[in-house]
Amino acid sequence: MHTLANAEATSVKGQVINVGMGQIATGDRSTQFTSVLGSCVAVVLWHPRLSLGAIAHVVLPKSHGQNGQPGKFADTAIPTMLEQLARMGCPKPGLVAKIAGGANMFRVGGPLQIGDDNIATVREILKTVGIPITAEDVGGTQGRKITFTCSTGELRIEVAGQKAKVI
Amino acid sequence: MTSTIATNRAEIFRPLFAAATHDASAAMCRWTDGLITLTLDEVREIPLHSVASELGFGDDLLTMVILGVESDPGTVLILTFDEENARQLAATLTRRVRNTSPEWDELEISALTETGNILGCAYMNALTRLLGRAIIPSPPYFVRDYFASVIQQALVEQAAASDVALIGRTGFHREGEALNWHVLFVPSPEFRRMLENAIAVKPNS
Repeated sequence: MHTLANAEATSVKGQVINVGMGQIATGDRSTQFTSVLGSCVAVVLWHPRLSLGAIAHVVLPKSHGQNGQPGKFADTAIPTMLEQLARMGCPKPGLVAKIAGGANMFRVGGPLQIGDDNIATVREILKTVGIPITAEDVGGTQGRKITFTCSTGELRIEVAGQKAKVI
Repeated sequence: MTSTIATNRAEIFRPLFAAATHDASAAMCRWTDGLITLTLDEVREIPLHSVASELGFGDDLLTMVILGVESDPGTVLILTFDEENARQLAATLTRRVRNTSPEWDELEISALTETGNILGCAYMNALTRLLGRAIIPSPPYFVRDYFASVIQQALVEQAAASDVALIGRTGFHREGEALNWHVLFVPSPEFRRMLENAIAVKPNS
């Protein structure tokens, strides 16, 4: 498995890319993305005709103007993904989105309950940029291990103690 | 793999984490009739994107007990156990034969959460003494899930402020032999400032 060496947006071919917190990756039909999610949300943008895709492992909803990894915040991740895809020759028209994650892992109140805000902000931004969400698996109280296959657009989701599903 | 980011900067916190670990170790030793002791393994700043892998957990499913801090919801203490030894600890503490069922029963969960409570209280009492401020742990709870899923929510407040995470890791030993159990202390940015003030270190110095 290939792990991104840093937080920069990366494009590779023919690899399984493990996408960590705040990272963005892009790939073609030979690429798979994997990630493990708790309160974070994975945003996958995929072009079915071109089999090109991008993923962001979003940690927080909004950057509030902060510098840092663009993939960390929903409001900077999605525009960056679109720029990355455009550089690969992938136009915005035709893109669809799948999202997963946004769980509430801790049974305590307070500012750590960020999963719902992440989900809401990702949905809002995707709506604003006109990219339809064709499938999602969000919320709950358990982590998710995901694998996205660019050739098929399938997002496989594993939850501890449950049968894996594909959306 | 070891990150090269700011190892020395994180090392300034070692005396505080070591003192808390010392007290937690004494409490664990009493709780387990001298069976288990703790030592501070490392205090590090780790890039957010590679925290789980650099701590050596990757995508592992782990048994965990989690405690927060009542006055600071962004600070979290996580006990991690491998399944085999967690079951054995529960059996020892409850004086029963090791449970071989895939499901954890209430008594086993209670034994582990109480272990977390004793250890967490000792750890945070030490920090209370060192920081001169009441650090009160929240009630512990038991989780079996992906480590990466849990740690990423524990890091939310640090992630809002930085692309690296400060984590103190303590290891467990049974009769001198290292176990695959750990205590991870994840301070919020506010808690980190308290630690810095306690050792009179300016941020980024």
